[in-house]
Amino acid sequence: MNLLYKSYYFASYQCDKSRSFYIDFGHKQVKLSFCQLLSIRQKVQAIDISSHFDKDLNYSGIEILTLCNREHLFVFDTLQIIDLKQLLKATFGVLELNSLVTH
Amino acid sequence: MKDIVRQKIGINVDVMDLLNEQIAKEAHSSAAYLAMASWCDHNGLINSAEFFYKQSTEEREHMLRIFKFINDNGGTAYSPEVSSINHDFNSLQEIFETALDQEIQITKSINNIVAKCRKVQDFGSENFLQWFVHEQMEEENQFRRILEMFDLMGTDGIALKLIDERIKHGE
Repeated sequence: MNLLYKSYYFASYQCDKSRSFYIDFGHKQVKLSFCQLLSIRQKVQAIDISSHFDKDLNYSGIEILTLCNREHLFVFDTLQIIDLKQLLKATFGVLELNSLVTH
Repeated sequence: MKDIVRQKIGINVDVMDLLNEQIAKEAHSSAAYLAMASWCDHNGLINSAEFFYKQSTEEREHMLRIFKFINDNGGTAYSPEVSSINHDFNSLQEIFETALDQEIQITKSINNIVAKCRKVQDFGSENFLQWFVHEQMEEENQFRRILEMFDLMGTDGIALKLIDERIKHGE
C-alpha cells in the first residue's frame, strides 16, 4: 500500500492491487472505494467547524459520522475533525499530483 | 503508483464540487420560480403563473442534466437541500427583476465553472457546460424583453393585464 498522507491522528493509503483506498483511524482501518472516499470527503467538508466553538450550535463539540453506507460509525471531537479535514484535503492534493505525474 | 482516481472519474474533482454547488443553485432557482408562480396565481396573473411553472420545470431539468453528467462520469452527485425561498413580492415587475437577477447569478456561476475547467484542462466538462452558457444568454434575454414591456406599457391596471397576456408561454 502507498501512503498518501499522514496527519496527526489519521493516515490515508492507496492500494493499487485492490484499486481502493484505506484510512487508518488509529484504532481501525477502513477500506474505501473511490466513491466512498468522495462521500467521506463531502461529509467532512460540510462540517462547520466554527459551530464547535458555539455552545448553542454544537453543545457537545462532537461530530457523528457514518461511513460506507453506515457500515462504520465514528464519533470525533473538534481536534479530530480539524485533523480529518486536513487529511482529506491533503489526500486529494496528493492524488491530483499523482494524476499530473502519471499522465 | 496507479492513477486510480483517473480510472474511476472522468472529470476533475474540484469541477465536480462546483457542479454539485450548481445543482443546488438550479434547485433553488426551480423552487424560487414556484414561489413566483404561486404569487402570480393568487393575484390573477394566470399567464405569468404558467410562465413561472414552466421556468421552474426548466430549472429542474437543468439540475438533472448536471446531476446525470456527474454520475455518468464516475463522480457523485448530491441531492440538494433547498431553503430560504422568498414568497413575498410587491409587484409583477419586482418578480421579473428578481428573476433576472437570479438568472444573472446563475450565469456568473456557470462562467466561473467554465473558467475552472479551462484552468484544470477539464475539456469534457467545459464542452458539457457550453450548452448552459448558451441557455443562460437566452434566459437572460427573455427576462430583459419582459422587463422592457413594463418600461413601455407601465405597471398598473390594464397595462398589467396586457403584459400578462403577452407573457403567455414566455413569448
